[in-house]
Amino acid sequence: MSIFTRRGFLGASIALAISATALSTAALAADDYPNKPITMLVGYGAGGQTDLIARAAAQVMSEQVGVPINVVNKPGAGGAVAARELQQADPDGYTIMFHSNTVVNSAPFIMDRVDFKPDDFEYAGMITAYQVGMATQKDAPYNNITEFVAWAKENPGFSYGALSPEARLYMEEIAKKNDLDVNIVPLQSGSEMINALLGKQVVLAFSGGIHYRYTDELKSISALTSFRHPSAPDVPTIEEEGYPIAMDSRTVVMLPKDTPRAILDTLSEALSAAQTAENFNKVAAASDIPVMYLDVDAATKEMNDTYTKNKAIIEGASAN
Amino acid sequence: MRRANIISGIVLACFGLVMIFAIIPWQIEAGPKGMMSPSLVPTMMMVLITGLSVLLTVINWRARTKESIEDTPNPVSRAELAALVKVGALFALALGLYLWISPLFAGIALVAGALLILGERRPLVLVLMPAGFMLAIWFLFYKVLGTAIL
Amino acid sequence: MDYLIIGFQDVLNPVTLFWVASGVTLGYILGALPGLGKATGVAVAIPLTFYLTPVAALGMLIGIAKGSAAGSAVSAILLNTPGEPSSAPTALDGYPLARQGKAQKALKMGLYASVIGDFLSTIVLIGLAAPLANYALLIGPVELCAILLFSLTFIGGLSGKSMIKGLIAGAFGVFFATIGLETETFVPRMTFGMLELDDGLKLVPLAIGMLAVAEMIIQAGNLKALDAETANIADGSSKDDREISHSEWRRCIPVILRGTVIGSLIGILPGLGASVGSFLSYGATKRASKTPEKFGTGMIEGVAAAESADNAVVPSSLIPLFALGIPGSVIAALLIAAFILHGLTPGPLMFKQQPRLVADVYAAMICASFIMLFIGYSGQRIFAMIIKVPLRLIIPGVLLLCTIGAYMETGSVFSIYVMLGFTLIGFFAKKLDFSFVTFLIGFVIGPNIELTFRQSLQLLDHRFSNLLHHPIALVFIILTVLTIWWLGWSSSVANSTPKSVEPVAQPSAANQDIHKKREE
Repeated sequence: MSIFTRRGFLGASIALAISATALSTAALAADDYPNKPITMLVGYGAGGQTDLIARAAAQVMSEQVGVPINVVNKPGAGGAVAARELQQADPDGYTIMFHSNTVVNSAPFIMDRVDFKPDDFEYAGMITAYQVGMATQKDAPYNNITEFVAWAKENPGFSYGALSPEARLYMEEIAKKNDLDVNIVPLQSGSEMINALLGKQVVLAFSGGIHYRYTDELKSISALTSFRHPSAPDVPTIEEEGYPIAMDSRTVVMLPKDTPRAILDTLSEALSAAQTAENFNKVAAASDIPVMYLDVDAATKEMNDTYTKNKAIIEGASAN
Repeated sequence: MRRANIISGIVLACFGLVMIFAIIPWQIEAGPKGMMSPSLVPTMMMVLITGLSVLLTVINWRARTKESIEDTPNPVSRAELAALVKVGALFALALGLYLWISPLFAGIALVAGALLILGERRPLVLVLMPAGFMLAIWFLFYKVLGTAIL
Repeated sequence: MDYLIIGFQDVLNPVTLFWVASGVTLGYILGALPGLGKATGVAVAIPLTFYLTPVAALGMLIGIAKGSAAGSAVSAILLNTPGEPSSAPTALDGYPLARQGKAQKALKMGLYASVIGDFLSTIVLIGLAAPLANYALLIGPVELCAILLFSLTFIGGLSGKSMIKGLIAGAFGVFFATIGLETETFVPRMTFGMLELDDGLKLVPLAIGMLAVAEMIIQAGNLKALDAETANIADGSSKDDREISHSEWRRCIPVILRGTVIGSLIGILPGLGASVGSFLSYGATKRASKTPEKFGTGMIEGVAAAESADNAVVPSSLIPLFALGIPGSVIAALLIAAFILHGLTPGPLMFKQQPRLVADVYAAMICASFIMLFIGYSGQRIFAMIIKVPLRLIIPGVLLLCTIGAYMETGSVFSIYVMLGFTLIGFFAKKLDFSFVTFLIGFVIGPNIELTFRQSLQLLDHRFSNLLHHPIALVFIILTVLTIWWLGWSSSVANSTPKSVEPVAQPSAANQDIHKKREE
């Protein structure tokens, strides 16, 4: 049917009108984003390390973008339940998730039924890092892994506290390499881990960073990250001591796949304001959490890099 | 209660056996060596339940008399079972509304439906109560406490 | 002590008191509403407190926790639907009392027991936080395992009429608690591939379904009979039914003190929670009573025992938090967030760095206890009137609240499914006389025993001879063995008098009427 018949003309103009509206709606959507409250999912329960930072970040970001950001806790499976919900949300920027990036870059290798890949999501930025390390009592006779191994050989059957499969992985690698006799004590939470250390039940434990709250009683003997901890610059990283198994984890703002880049940039800019926001820094400092901002591209790169690296580490460890 | 005990005993004993021999091995894999098996405690509990249920059945069977079986009324009355089924259907409806339409309608349906099930027929109550509840909840969470829950 | 006086000066101003009072009131109401609970209230209120001064914020949040522990008795007594799982034992004797027209008496005792338990426990917190917390550190997994085994022996008395059914229920409780990822091996148990079950079944939706919704359905099935009964209850007509007599006070004071001690001790131990405290207190009081068989028919001591313990747990669960910075309960974990946000870093340094703020918080807590008494007392008559509202108007409201409360637990519909599943289980358990008390205890204590046992195996290097390094644990193991032996001996003495081992279960007084008048 030719466009010059009356029906054709009507059809063409309707098509034109519809596509013009669609385009302008998309443009409008990107232009006046956000124009209603945003929901921020947090994959852990209220009150934890991540939840505190999430709430502080939400406060900063909402001041920047001008709409309320409501934090909704959806705990379960270390964040996998919330991440799955994020996957099913509309990519319109009104559902975001603030969580540790381990839900994508290490959980899939450790938990059977979790199979996220970095490109299942978009990343608007990273803001803090977890000072994951090995913690022990302040008066322990060792200050790094090498000294610990020497001590452990004299004291077989020692107890190590592990609150996650990663925690086990580290000790199993160290024990394997040095032929140590260790009893791994299961722990259910960070507070149980602190309790076990303060009560001298275990001689060493894996900590996600909260051990820095107790500098009078506890000390770090290894940084399990690729960088030395700002809270303990004299403590060597595990890679410096000869074990190439450091795995970095940071908090990241995630969005559903195919969210427009403009929205990601808006959120990323809002997030970067946290670096200088007074309240945010107060909260982070109170929990000894270092603020390290990464923008959209840097965050995506970090995610892809760590995914590959962690895959090699974790699958390599379990293969042995 | 005697007859109910006998029946419960048999049902639970069968349940226990199914768990021990089918479900538990299917759902719980063996753990790594050197640690207590993950299926130890669940299996122990099911063994306990099966054994105790058998005991329950046997004791009640032995102690049954003609009177205690025939005359005692059922512990679960027909009206209670009816209530169970009706409320169950109500929840199914409300959940369906929640998943496919909106939480607001689910809440209204739940309250209004429950009122209807229980015999309330006055239209004023049927309208005001659900509306009142939803309003109160909205007020409590969104205004007073300032947090969205959905 | 002088700091405490300064603390009072800081706190006793209208603004701060207002916020503390609103916290207590909010908590009381949330506790009284079946379904919604203190965890919900505190978690949701935290953002609100951003805008308040630290003392007001912390006072409000702690007030919510305290208020809800007291308010939960109201619905337990009036509707047989506990507002929180920790008030489940209160319903066992409180509801029969209410059906006998003594609702106000039961409510008053619940309130007084709650306030006394809460106040004494707060004093303990203030006076003994530091030394007690250090003692608490001595309780490691090995000791905890032994203590829990010992506390199981209290449960013998809680099975109700049938020991066998009580044990079956307890075993089911332990079994359901194993659902989820096992902590040591990370092997999923009975999760059927559902990620939502990785963290196990949560107590709140389970308890709401089993205790509240199931009860509402049963009452719905007995509407005519119950309404007829209610019309006959001349509530509060005799002064005796409204007030607590001297002799009842005399009997209840030791019960309340015992409950406070048990609650405080349970609160300090990490991870157990208020439900364990109130159940153990109820069990201990029942065992110590001269008429244990009357428990469940309206013994006011039962109400006193349960309520004093469940309130005593709240302040004492803050002891590890204040003294060491370790949260020992869900509430404490939520409060840590609030503390940090408002500039207090909980832990030993808190006393040195911010003694004034600490004193302010202590003072606020004491004020909260008094405010709770005032609020609870003023509400008495209003609450007691609820019993006159026709059930068909109450049940729909309760159903809605329970659904919301269950949802709040994980922010997802899954918890509602859990609630409904356990409604079904609870319905049959109640009708077939399987004790939900032992079920809940099995559910809460069971996983703790398994985990601490695993931890002990590792800590003791798989060698039991290492137990000698743990004298506290040995003491409790010996106590457990002795108690079991003594229980066995005394029940065999009782059995030598002719009595059938498995009596036909007598429904409790309240249900007996229902059974007589119910429709077929």
